[in-house]
Amino acid sequence: MSTLAPEKKAEAQQDGQFDRRALLVGVGAAAAAVVGAPLLRRAWADKATVFIARNQRYDGPLEQTIRDGLAATGFDHALIRGRKVLLKPNLVEPTKKCPQMTTHPAVVVAVANVFRNFGAEVVVGEGPGHMRDTEMALVESGMQDALDDAGLRFVDLNYSQTGWIKNAGRATVLDGFHFPREVLEADLIVSLPKMKTHHWVGYTGALKNLYGVIPGIKYGWPKNVLHYAGIPQSIYDINATLPKTISVVDGILAMEGDGPIMGSAKPMGLILVGTNNTAVDATLGRIMGFEPSKIEYLNLAGGRLGPIGDGLIGQHGERWRDVENPFTLIDAPQLRGLRRRGVLVT
Amino acid sequence: MSYLEVVLDRLAASDVCGYQAGAPAATEPTAVAALALLAHGRIERARRLTERLLEMQRKDGSLGIDRVHALPGWPTAWAILAWRAAQSSQGFDPAYVLAYERGRDWLLGVAGDSGDIVQWEGHDVHLRGWPWVVGTHSWVEPTSLALLALRLTGRGDSPRAREATAMLENRLLPDGGCNYGNTIVFGQALRPHLQPTGLALLALGNQADTTGRIGRSVEYLQRELYERTTTASLSYGLLGLAARGAYPNEANAWLRAAADRTLARDASSYKLGLIALASLGPDCPLVSGNWEATPTSAVEVGV
Repeated sequence: MSTLAPEKKAEAQQDGQFDRRALLVGVGAAAAAVVGAPLLRRAWADKATVFIARNQRYDGPLEQTIRDGLAATGFDHALIRGRKVLLKPNLVEPTKKCPQMTTHPAVVVAVANVFRNFGAEVVVGEGPGHMRDTEMALVESGMQDALDDAGLRFVDLNYSQTGWIKNAGRATVLDGFHFPREVLEADLIVSLPKMKTHHWVGYTGALKNLYGVIPGIKYGWPKNVLHYAGIPQSIYDINATLPKTISVVDGILAMEGDGPIMGSAKPMGLILVGTNNTAVDATLGRIMGFEPSKIEYLNLAGGRLGPIGDGLIGQHGERWRDVENPFTLIDAPQLRGLRRRGVLVT
Repeated sequence: MSYLEVVLDRLAASDVCGYQAGAPAATEPTAVAALALLAHGRIERARRLTERLLEMQRKDGSLGIDRVHALPGWPTAWAILAWRAAQSSQGFDPAYVLAYERGRDWLLGVAGDSGDIVQWEGHDVHLRGWPWVVGTHSWVEPTSLALLALRLTGRGDSPRAREATAMLENRLLPDGGCNYGNTIVFGQALRPHLQPTGLALLALGNQADTTGRIGRSVEYLQRELYERTTTASLSYGLLGLAARGAYPNEANAWLRAAADRTLARDASSYKLGLIALASLGPDCPLVSGNWEATPTSAVEVGV
């Protein structure tokens, strides 16, 4: 679907122009979030280092891996003590029949425990893109039991209170975004994507996963307003507008072929950690066999939100070349030419 | 006290109907709660909710998602249904008739967009239903709600209702069921989901099954619903089965289990309202089109 014609600007876009109360709530909440942001931004803005761990298992010592990764990428945990941290897994359309589609609960709980031990106030939030019954998404993904056992609070971002904030990216025609209160109030958002191919944009990682912070009640199921605005462009705009984000990628059981929903399982045994999501996604893509500069949303983000050039991204743990394992793709026009070496089709 | 009495008492005591307990009031949960209370004969308790919806109606006839957000207007269909029920249950009140007619006029002026989509293998993009957000494509759930609102306010034979019926049938998967509204993408049939399947069957009512997909959708729900099915999916699924004359004998036990879980976890007005509506099975006014309340003696005690 192409960019929306000006006369068809969607309701969600128009709403922000006259809904004064929502606007004021949004500005107030955003301002509150921004109070702590400069310190965090200064601390990590120039750190484009990505940590890769191999031979990882869901029943393994994930907390240690994640702590090591954060330390290696320059994350100063003292800065997060007493702060609000929102963990954002990928629960787009969970089903027990397809565990390679969604972030594994063990990764979410491990990250939560790491940040709780840092003294942060942790909450898990998601707005599933294809399901209105979020309870179903939590049960099918196994997340409900895991969060209950770990004593973690979940917020349904699809139905949360929202505030409007100006679009800082401007790659789309959208003037701004309605973000859930928990997003606007977070001092740090940790993107917890699944390592997956994506049949429209190539692959999905830390940046695309943050589509899920957009509330369905305002943008629909699917979040069609964003599709009309352009998928790569809206990925860029959302990430340019969000408060500080970092990521931990679940690449233990990945998905190849017809991702992000119908693809096949691909065991990779990887965890990636980074404090710059653009650099994380560029590294993730290289492992999967993509050329990051050919991925449209990374091309927009590169140099603006972070580096995508191999030489600009520091590596800790494993080197990406040592764990490279090209993912199969469906044979579709939009995916041809995204790879470094030829085209692999299912 | 039966589970249903507990559910209705909680609903009747709720001054603020939101998606979660303690959440601010929202249009959809308010309308669902009002419908549930009206359908069970708790008319006075429902009145404050239907009147609250009147206060939320905009000049153009639509309602936004809550008092703060005037857009998008997809919950308007729910308000139409609540006002239609109130108009019957509370004696003829011209305010409700006027409100649902204005809401319906707004609904009839809105359609899903398909102008920019040049090619799509899975469904007929030119069949117009309703979008979540004006200016975007038609999807299953807003179309189902709008069709239900048209059908149950006497516009089931209108061209838009006929087109919406065709659109919903077109979005059913070959093996039955539907999801948010895509069918086959890059050669693969997508997975069905319980909630939209139930809602689509409810909206389609007794529509003739010319392709076999409606029958296979009924079979899908019969196969998948059980006592652990999550509350919203279970409730919509049971309403869909009721609409096709296939309401299962186990429904009451399943809804009791769902009520126990919901009351223990978040007790949201939205979920409690859905449970109360689904408990009526074929007698639910959303299924039967009969707006007269069907109170039980046990329920009346709590009025």
